[in-house]
Amino acid sequence: MRSEQITEELTGVKSADIEAALDPVEADGVYRDSRQCAAAALLSGAAKLLLSPPTPRPKKG
Amino acid sequence: MEQSGTSTRLQAAVQGLASGVVSALRGGDHPHVVPAGDGAEAGDLALAAVRVLGADALLPGLVRPTPPDPAEVAVFRKAVEAYPPRPDAAPTVRWSHWGMTRALRRLDPSFLPGPSAEPDTGWLEGAGWQYLTHQLAVLAPLAVPGEECAVSALAARRPVDVARGFVRAVRRRDWRQAAGAGRWLTLLPGVPDTVGLEAGLDFVELMGGQDPLVVLQVQAARAARTGAPV
Repeated sequence: MRSEQITEELTGVKSADIEAALDPVEADGVYRDSRQCAAAALLSGAAKLLLSPPTPRPKKG
Repeated sequence: MEQSGTSTRLQAAVQGLASGVVSALRGGDHPHVVPAGDGAEAGDLALAAVRVLGADALLPGLVRPTPPDPAEVAVFRKAVEAYPPRPDAAPTVRWSHWGMTRALRRLDPSFLPGPSAEPDTGWLEGAGWQYLTHQLAVLAPLAVPGEECAVSALAARRPVDVARGFVRAVRRRDWRQAAGAGRWLTLLPGVPDTVGLEAGLDFVELMGGQDPLVVLQVQAARAARTGAPV
């Protein structure tokens, strides 16, 4: 019996469980509206990354 | 998707192990990262958790000026040997195992089994920036200063794509992916200043800091930025 099989029998942790943890699918995105993003960014002090994008302005001409 | 009981216990063990790594990286009173188990089951669950956390399980031992505890290295080695990638394993599983063997060879010169050739990077060649960033984040334990490999070489050719993926992960509130991508960005040349990496990592820690796996990546990124001998 391979050591891998022995370990699986002892713990119930199968190689498939480990490999699933090491090859995760991408988590679903969670979005907030722009006002919540701006509030969160302000709470973070210097972090400006999540400030909502600039307000769209009408094109000239 | 509902997780099995085993999967849930494994995830909890990984989180616990990551907390220990974070504590050790912060210089806290946590000399032994790998937890001692109560009986064979708990000990072997910890072993599986070490395999999932990968090379990062030994990160404190690489950062600290003192060498890691030989007992921890022995547990790490046991995890490497107990859970080799299966023949049909995904590339991230193969690379994770390869990263562990690389760390082990550095810390345990007596460890020389098997072929040391790197897995291939074919699955990432020409990958879209979203997928590339996700996969790199999963393989964040490979983002170690001064330790080159084919994955790091591939990432170095696409700094703008990884930066774009970092911002996307933040906006999706996928803090684990953002932290892993941020860790890579600290090592890549040619990252645009406009990405705001330092502030971005602060933000990721602020928002995702309840997850030890997020904090671990942020701490590793900071260690890389400050030039700590990771």
